[in-house]
Amino acid sequence: MAHEMVLAEPTEVRETFWKALSSDKYIKWLFVLPLLVVLAAFMLFPTFYCLFMSFTEYVLKKPPVFIGLENYQAVLHDPVFWSALGRTFFVLIMSISVELIVGMAIALLLNREFKGQNIIRGLCFMPLLMSPLAMSLMWNYILHIQFGVVNQFLEWFGIGRIEWLSNQRYALFTIMLISIWQWAPFSIFVLFAGLRGLPKDQFEAADVDGASSWFTFRKLTLPMLKPLIIIIILLRTMWLIRIFDPLYGTTRGGMGTELLDWMIYRISFVFFDVGRGSALAMFALYMTIIVCALLYRQLIKAMGAPS
Amino acid sequence: MKRVLFWIVIVVMLVGFLFPIAWVYVTSFKAPQDIFKPEKLIFRPTLYNYVYIVKTRPSLRELWNSFVVTVASTALVMAVSLPAAYSFARFNTGKGHLLFITISTRMFPGVVAALPFFFVFRDLGLLDTHLGLTLLYLYFNMSFATFLLYGFFREIPEQLEHAAMVDGYGRFTILRQVIFPLIKPGAAITTVFCLIWSWNEFLFAFLFTRRIARTVSVGLSTFWGSIEIQWGPMAALMGVAILPTLAAAWLMQRYIIRGLTFGAVKG
Repeated sequence: MAHEMVLAEPTEVRETFWKALSSDKYIKWLFVLPLLVVLAAFMLFPTFYCLFMSFTEYVLKKPPVFIGLENYQAVLHDPVFWSALGRTFFVLIMSISVELIVGMAIALLLNREFKGQNIIRGLCFMPLLMSPLAMSLMWNYILHIQFGVVNQFLEWFGIGRIEWLSNQRYALFTIMLISIWQWAPFSIFVLFAGLRGLPKDQFEAADVDGASSWFTFRKLTLPMLKPLIIIIILLRTMWLIRIFDPLYGTTRGGMGTELLDWMIYRISFVFFDVGRGSALAMFALYMTIIVCALLYRQLIKAMGAPS
Repeated sequence: MKRVLFWIVIVVMLVGFLFPIAWVYVTSFKAPQDIFKPEKLIFRPTLYNYVYIVKTRPSLRELWNSFVVTVASTALVMAVSLPAAYSFARFNTGKGHLLFITISTRMFPGVVAALPFFFVFRDLGLLDTHLGLTLLYLYFNMSFATFLLYGFFREIPEQLEHAAMVDGYGRFTILRQVIFPLIKPGAAITTVFCLIWSWNEFLFAFLFTRRIARTVSVGLSTFWGSIEIQWGPMAALMGVAILPTLAAAWLMQRYIIRGLTFGAVKG
């Protein structure tokens, strides 16, 4: 009897092993394991490393020296930081509002049936596929004060040349324009997909009741699209806080366009003041987390609400 | 009247969206002396810029580097994100917190990660290598890929799996024969997004590669010299670099439209 048991063991063990492995309790963790490893290596480690650096005086080539909160104090008393932060928020609010309004308008427009609808919808998607750096370099050329084609046209139409990128007053707006050009298609497509998925019957009911289209839009369409709008705001906030490429391709932080991410880059990789750079980076991180956590809560609320 | 207005708006919109892209190609065929003459709308096209980038710049190598890093990192991202997203969607692993943490990596300012990695990569000898950049792109794309795929997996009704289980199929057979065919459109669109983002990425490539593993994005930025910007050759390289993204988007067009309507509605 005992002898037989021993003989049976290998297959039995293998079987129970596979059974255990494919039971939900283990498999769910087994499947997330690679992700967790990458997360730990690529997220936890850099965050804590950065946190550590932010408490040190570390200018490259010399070993880091612990200086406590000095970097943070320096950052908080730095007017350049505050203006970069203010500009970043300004860009966030302006760009996202414009993208949402333009995106909604175009999404409503594309939601009709018309000739060549698939091709035209596809073409609207194009800017999103382009390399942000390449396109900002191209915009730099197109908007160039002397040999930019846009200014040439403006002159022909008697409007006169505009210093798109070489004037402190306009440069930040031009960068927002480039970013909006690239990312409005994102809003368009998320909202367009949302419009397609709306239930038809309520709109027919509103139509029968003789509701105006503006009324239907405000009372039916907008509330139903609310989760998607919050998703757009959430994702765009995350992406815009780290806006870098359009600056590199155009003003390189000059002309009053220094945004938060650019400032971190300049301090850590141009001046090699790693301690100060880390403190700034931690600020940017906390800010993003707070803003996004607030938005995420809104999103959960909006998605949970009966529609 | 309303129809005319509609088409006017459509045309204006398309011109707005497509003009800069078209101008890349227009510029790339201009001879050096025509680059600085915007008033000359009709010019004699030349291949000068294309010949220039092939002959005197490391552009072909940069394209190859971009290709290697893009494909390798996308394969890795899918290998990590597909099972994880499935686990999040089906078993609610980590009760939503873990998913939120995963998504939140995407909101890290790039430079937060760049600083520590710079030192570690320097010590490990990963600076300016394909492997180093591939790992960074894995980190860079993983969270969004997981988020997208999570949405797609959620679309697949759980009853399908239960039914197959009742029929006596094992978990792995079900995954292969039931789930995989259904997730294909979603996986396709996620793959395309990862490919395009890795291909277009600039900040990490710029900080972490110098000469050997330099990608196309970084190559583009080097046309901006200390004295002047070489617009013509730059446009030529841009024109070449854009092509793969267009090709990928074109091939996956059907899936993209389906995938987007799928994933975005439910969020």
